Amino acid sequence: MKTLVSIDIGSTWTKGATFSLTASGLELLERVSVPTTQNNLVVGFHETLARLLHQDSHTSLEELKDRAEVFFSSSAKGGLRIAAIGLVPDLTLQLAKLAAMSAGGKVIKSFSFSLTSSDVKELEQLSPDIILFSGGTDGGNSKYVLENARKLESSRLSCPIVYAGNRAVAEEAINVMKSREVIVTENLMPEIGQVNIEPAREKIREIFLKRIVVGRGLAEIVELFGAQPKPTPLAVFELISAIPEFYPEWSDLAAIDIGGATTDFYSNTESYLETDTVVLKGIREPKVKRTVEGDLGMRVSARSLFETGQDYLQDRLREEGLEFKDMEEFVGRISDKIDYLPVGDKEKIFDRLLAEACVYYAALRHIGGWKEVYTPQGKVYMQTGKDLRRVKAIIGSGGFLSEERTAAVMAIPLKKLRNYGEEIKLLPEKPDFYRDRYYLFSLLGNLIEKYPREASTLAVASVEKLNQKGEQND
Amino acid sequence: MENQKDTIVIGVIGSDCHSVGNKILEMFFTSEGFKVVNLGVMVSQQEFVDAAIETNARAILVSSLYGHAEIDCQGFRELCIEKGLDPIILYIGGNLAVGKTPFSVVEEKFKKMGFDRVFPPDVDLKQVTELLRQDIKEKFGSSLKGQRARDGANQAGPENQNQTANQISQSDKNDSKEPEGSKSK
Repeated sequence: MKTLVSIDIGSTWTKGATFSLTASGLELLERVSVPTTQNNLVVGFHETLARLLHQDSHTSLEELKDRAEVFFSSSAKGGLRIAAIGLVPDLTLQLAKLAAMSAGGKVIKSFSFSLTSSDVKELEQLSPDIILFSGGTDGGNSKYVLENARKLESSRLSCPIVYAGNRAVAEEAINVMKSREVIVTENLMPEIGQVNIEPAREKIREIFLKRIVVGRGLAEIVELFGAQPKPTPLAVFELISAIPEFYPEWSDLAAIDIGGATTDFYSNTESYLETDTVVLKGIREPKVKRTVEGDLGMRVSARSLFETGQDYLQDRLREEGLEFKDMEEFVGRISDKIDYLPVGDKEKIFDRLLAEACVYYAALRHIGGWKEVYTPQGKVYMQTGKDLRRVKAIIGSGGFLSEERTAAVMAIPLKKLRNYGEEIKLLPEKPDFYRDRYYLFSLLGNLIEKYPREASTLAVASVEKLNQKGEQND
Repeated sequence: MENQKDTIVIGVIGSDCHSVGNKILEMFFTSEGFKVVNLGVMVSQQEFVDAAIETNARAILVSSLYGHAEIDCQGFRELCIEKGLDPIILYIGGNLAVGKTPFSVVEEKFKKMGFDRVFPPDVDLKQVTELLRQDIKEKFGSSLKGQRARDGANQAGPENQNQTANQISQSDKNDSKEPEGSKSK
């Protein structure tokens, strides 16, 4: 038997679990959480590890290290902050955003066409961790890319720049940006409509390891354990990618992870089925896709969620017979005190409505749609974005959804989306809902690289199917 | 060298889903040495323009077979100018009007809308190619890159400065199979 430890250093909590690995597979032994120590992440990490291994807190990390195989991830203050630069909004910029999000990043701002001097100023102020710089197909447009390269060169930005634009001028672009750290990778869109986000994702991941880890004590952990941390969302992304490889019955899968600051939506399903009556517009999205919404969250982002989610929330409050201004007050309270727990039935409903709104808007942005068009040849559908109709399972993760005993929080908003605007949203048709019962997904994601089968098996075994009728399961 | 070819964007505009001719055009222009970006059917003006920007295309070749081209193409040239594609070459071809409007009327109408050339449904594609090469050369200076790439010789001799229809037809002979759809339909 081997003991594995997986630790996820989140923005508020450092979560950890111990697993036993035997011939028959992976088994969860224990799960703990301690507050994250922001100034020096090692302290919280150390405490988590000591508690998981039942040692007193004075045991040195060196000693603890030999007692288990340790894996860890870090959300890096709520995810890597990436600024995306592309050319046309619906083409290279769209892909830059997708690549950044699939690599576990948060797109803090995106820019199309030429950067203006106020754009550059804004970039300097935002001070992103990485700039993902794309534009032009291979051999295609170079004017904008080179012009933007010159502007980046003369800016006061210091972050690494991942160049994933027109390959034909890659060298020229490096020359222009000679005082910057530029990492060149393959073009995100070598040809119109051809999606190639993997190489850029990989580079972003590498930079995450090298750059972001330095400074808050993570380097010490890396050196000691000889292992690299993963960005937390990437861990989940890899788990969602891996599960169907070992469990084909779990293909066509989606997951929603609602946190305090962001809501992540993952899907693993073919994005477009070509038929005579459906024409795809824009890019063909990747099979495994992650989107992250920085304005949707239960606490840190509660205020922005309340603003974004007005329409949905007004509608739901009416149905629940509750007052808008009461909820507004509640949102004010939880925003001022982000560890506030709802008291009484009314506040609990407000909290659930916030979660519903997260699901609603995250799904709205993640999932594509059809527009009906009448042509002389008959009715045709124009599809933009990703088709999730075949998704059979939707798993809720994150602090809130892991605790949720009914499917309603996910099912109600998805049902409401059916009548969104004129577009037909390509929602999962008859999904089953599950919860990540022990809130293990990010922790299991850390194990994926080394133990893909074992981690996938435990992930599948630890989810619980939720009752869709609204009654509690136990 | 792939990236030395002249890029052209093709597609069927509007709510038109005639896809056969579109595929023939793609095959034909590819065999003529162009880098063809085919957007398929039911393409909006915006999509044409977006693709032309990203690929640095020399020309947009719009097809329309269902008679509504005039409505679909309103403001196309203006959109190109708005988006900074001022010098781009715009061609249109197909069944451009419903009924028996004489072609000269149709042609004039579309030229007024800013299309550089207008073609009837039965145009010889060879002729279109030659005009296209001419126009590219005129607007973008040294052209015929497509031709050079296609010949594969890549010896930038003086003869390349001044390639003629003669050479074009010569290299056509080298092609063992002639594309089937020399006529667009």
